[in-house]
Amino acid sequence: MVWQFSWLLLAATVQAASLSLQSPRFTISTPDATQLRSDTLSLTEKPEPLTLGPTDTLKLTFQITESDEGKGVQPHQTFLRFYDKASGEEGIQPVRVTPGGKAKFELNMVRPPASIPPTTHNPLEVSLILGSFVHAPAQYDLFELYLPASRTPEHPDEASFHVLPAIKHTFRPEQKSPPQFVSAVFAATVLSPWLVLIGLWSKIGVKVPNLFSLSIIPFTALLGAFEVLLVWYWVDLKLGQVLLYGGILAIPTVFAGKQALYATGEWRAGRK
Amino acid sequence: MAGPKSSSKPSPASSETYVAVSTLWKSYLDQTPDRLKFIDAFLAFTVLSGVLQFVYCVLVTNFPFNAFLAGFASSVGQFVLTASLRAQVNPENRSEFKEVSPERAFADFALGSIVLHFFVFNFLG
Repeated sequence: MVWQFSWLLLAATVQAASLSLQSPRFTISTPDATQLRSDTLSLTEKPEPLTLGPTDTLKLTFQITESDEGKGVQPHQTFLRFYDKASGEEGIQPVRVTPGGKAKFELNMVRPPASIPPTTHNPLEVSLILGSFVHAPAQYDLFELYLPASRTPEHPDEASFHVLPAIKHTFRPEQKSPPQFVSAVFAATVLSPWLVLIGLWSKIGVKVPNLFSLSIIPFTALLGAFEVLLVWYWVDLKLGQVLLYGGILAIPTVFAGKQALYATGEWRAGRK
Repeated sequence: MAGPKSSSKPSPASSETYVAVSTLWKSYLDQTPDRLKFIDAFLAFTVLSGVLQFVYCVLVTNFPFNAFLAGFASSVGQFVLTASLRAQVNPENRSEFKEVSPERAFADFALGSIVLHFFVFNFLG
């Protein structure tokens, strides 16, 4: 019982020394320091809602005193609460108070503090909350404040959640053949070594007396058939077909080649 | 080197080179068997053909590039195959290729050429 009485007593003394707000005043000014509106705040009656432009500055000054003695005190906690009734969003902004109880708060809309909730066309209700270990807490509804609608800051991943622009492939321009005349001239030039080859061979005059002998001609013919097969491949055939036909063609060629080269070796050795 | 002593002649260095080259050419014509000359003519043909294709590629266009590759590679590859054939059938090199008869060398040449031509036609597009 004694303990309870003592708590009650303490509570009573705390209640006795409550906090009060002196000379609250606001000023709205533009960046070039023109004052748009300036007034003292009545704690009993809310003023006309305040409106801030996107570059305006709201300045709020007040002093906190103990109600009975009128002496300035520094409460342990001083907050401004910005509350959007429509959306239910709120923001709490601490306010620095001097030991003498004087406080100054500035809201510059060029760089609004992060504690301001996202704003729409609805007003924010601004209230002052005082908290203290030795005084009774206090809350003052100061005014309503219209702020320019906030732009939602972009989420870092925002860009990945949009439709990407259609991919456009760029191709190198089609390569063109040179003019027909140039092509023809160079085709003739590139073929001209054949003339040189035939000329040289006819000059050297190697005789091939056995070219049409029965043991040689099958080999030569089969080698020719290989070349024909490859040309055919270029013109029409698929790879598998070429390998198949080539494999078939290879068997007689091997035997014909063996016979032809054996015969040549015999002639070389002079046995026939 | 042409020293000051031999400066009385108009251009001794070039004439010496000319003499050397003409001697070389003469001895080539005289001493090389006709069969090797036959192969040499073919070698010259492949070199000439490859160079002309390359000149075309550099001067005019490399389009179509695969055709250029095929043509140029066939020249180079045929040159290599023919050069090795020549080295193996040369009687002077008999000691080097004791176990390779000229017939065997020709068979290798024929097989290699067919494989080469297969790849060339593959590239021709």
